[in-house]
Amino acid sequence: MYQIFIEPFRFPFMARALAELMILGALAGTVGVLILLRRLAFMTDALTHTVFPGVVIGYLLSGEGGIFWGALIAGAATAVLLTLLTRHRAVTEDAALAVLLTTFFAVGVVLVSRESGYTADLTAFLFGRILTVTPAQLTQTLAVTALVIAMMVILRRPLLARSFDPEGARASGYRIGLLDLATNTVVALVVVASVRAVGTVLVIALLIVPAAAARVVSDRLALIVPIAAVLGAFAGWAGLAVSYDASIHHGLRLASGGTVVLVLIAGHLVALAAAAVIRRRPRPVRRAA
Amino acid sequence: METTPEPQVPPPALDLDEVTVAYGPALALENIDGMVAPGEAVALIGPNGAGKSTLIKAILGLVPLAGGRISVLGRSPAAARRDVAYVPQADTLDPEFPISVGQVVLMGRYRRIGWLRRAKAADKEAARRALEQVGLADRARHRFGTLSGGQRQRVLLARAIAAEPRLLLLDEPFNGVDAVSEQALLDAIALLKQDGAAVVVSTHDLALAHLACEEVCLLNRRQYGFGPTQATLTPDRLRATYGGHALELRGDRVIVAHS
Ligand SMILES: Nc1ncnc2c1ncn2[C@@H]1O[C@H](COP(=O)(O)OP(=O)(O)O)[C@@H](O)[C@H]1O
Ligand SMILES: [Mg+2]
Repeated sequence: MYQIFIEPFRFPFMARALAELMILGALAGTVGVLILLRRLAFMTDALTHTVFPGVVIGYLLSGEGGIFWGALIAGAATAVLLTLLTRHRAVTEDAALAVLLTTFFAVGVVLVSRESGYTADLTAFLFGRILTVTPAQLTQTLAVTALVIAMMVILRRPLLARSFDPEGARASGYRIGLLDLATNTVVALVVVASVRAVGTVLVIALLIVPAAAARVVSDRLALIVPIAAVLGAFAGWAGLAVSYDASIHHGLRLASGGTVVLVLIAGHLVALAAAAVIRRRPRPVRRAA
Repeated sequence: METTPEPQVPPPALDLDEVTVAYGPALALENIDGMVAPGEAVALIGPNGAGKSTLIKAILGLVPLAGGRISVLGRSPAAARRDVAYVPQADTLDPEFPISVGQVVLMGRYRRIGWLRRAKAADKEAARRALEQVGLADRARHRFGTLSGGQRQRVLLARAIAAEPRLLLLDEPFNGVDAVSEQALLDAIALLKQDGAAVVVSTHDLALAHLACEEVCLLNRRQYGFGPTQATLTPDRLRATYGGHALELRGDRVIVAHS
């Protein structure tokens, strides 16, 4: 156990990767609960599609350092657009929107394909490059995390009221449009912060799965949030450790991002199984009169 | 020597003056006129699509007026929001939402608590009392969605009570509600009225209008009557409101069967 879960992180680059993944996992798990409550999985998916060309363009314009800013601009623009679009009607699995998103994605792919190291670059953008996390990148992630957590703490009551009962929240004077913009911005920020480390494809799993698993285990928000955060962080740690161990000691090259997602899915399955067992056990009936 | 000014006559809780609401080119409400005094309840009666929910939203300041004026407690709807509470239909809310009954009721205090502060003991006490008033004090820790439809409706009323409103708006609160919950809702509404709150409640059920409300407003896009319950709920007016059919009379109680 020690050898797998502690040992690898003696190396500074592994320690940085661990810190980055655990912070992102906890952050995405927390924000994922908001996505779950607002049923924004589809919107989150849309964001990851539009952020991708932003990443590519940022990279083409100014290299590694441009990725974050390209993603940030694309993410912010998408957050605003989606807020306006959903203002008057629910955006669901709409065919037109799906085509538009795929177009964005294709633009990103075409732009990367003009580069010489095409495959390597594409893989990095889609699946991230966790092992090359720099201290500066870690600082950026921490700053985004602080900003997102601050927004969620300040807005926790309006966000809860709006998620549970939008009409009631509007009636009591909350500005729904602004709250939705804040929500979309928060999700966009997490996607942006995760892009370099885990890529645009895997971040969706980081945002959706821990919250879903936590919801299976508990129906109390006060527990769901910490469970999702811990699950996200733990999956980051375990996934990284397992992929490292497989690569070094067993000659089996596992992509760390993918391994993190598999650990998450495994966690979700365990949660589902546990919930099924608990529900099967007969309990003293507490029925509503 | 008397230096204090004459006590002002309190403004009506609700004053509707030629209220007209349009969705695009279609008028949803036309020239609605009426007044509700503090401590009084008015029932909004009319078939589906009559504009009952629209009128409630207009009173909340959530839909713009195409004409006329609404004043709530002497103020504009937007300015009066702090003193107005709204009770939506319970079955419009997601029963899977992970929130406890106690948390729902505490939402009624959110505007008082603010954004960053923790809930004070006074807020928790107000929420507890409100839940007690609807007879569900023992359910505080249950998940909202595990309660029956009628109980959920009572929880939403408790949330409104916790906000200490001076005008309470309920949109079809009795739909699909069992007899026990119906009585609990009626009792809680009566208590609010005793405390001087005005109540606007939309309903299909004329018997409940008789039980809970001094006044009725007969609506079907335009207004077919506004006044004391007994005098206004005449068979003729009801027939006019409901378009001449889908109406059953039973003794002095009138029950509207809607398709
Ligand atoms: N947001 C809206 N946009 C357009 N038309 C609406 C909207 N809400 C309600 N309507 C229309 O306005 C009329 C009144 O609706 P509503 O106030 O919901 O009636 P009720 O609550 O009495 O059933 C109906 O014809 C309905 O179709
Ligand atoms: Mg209605």
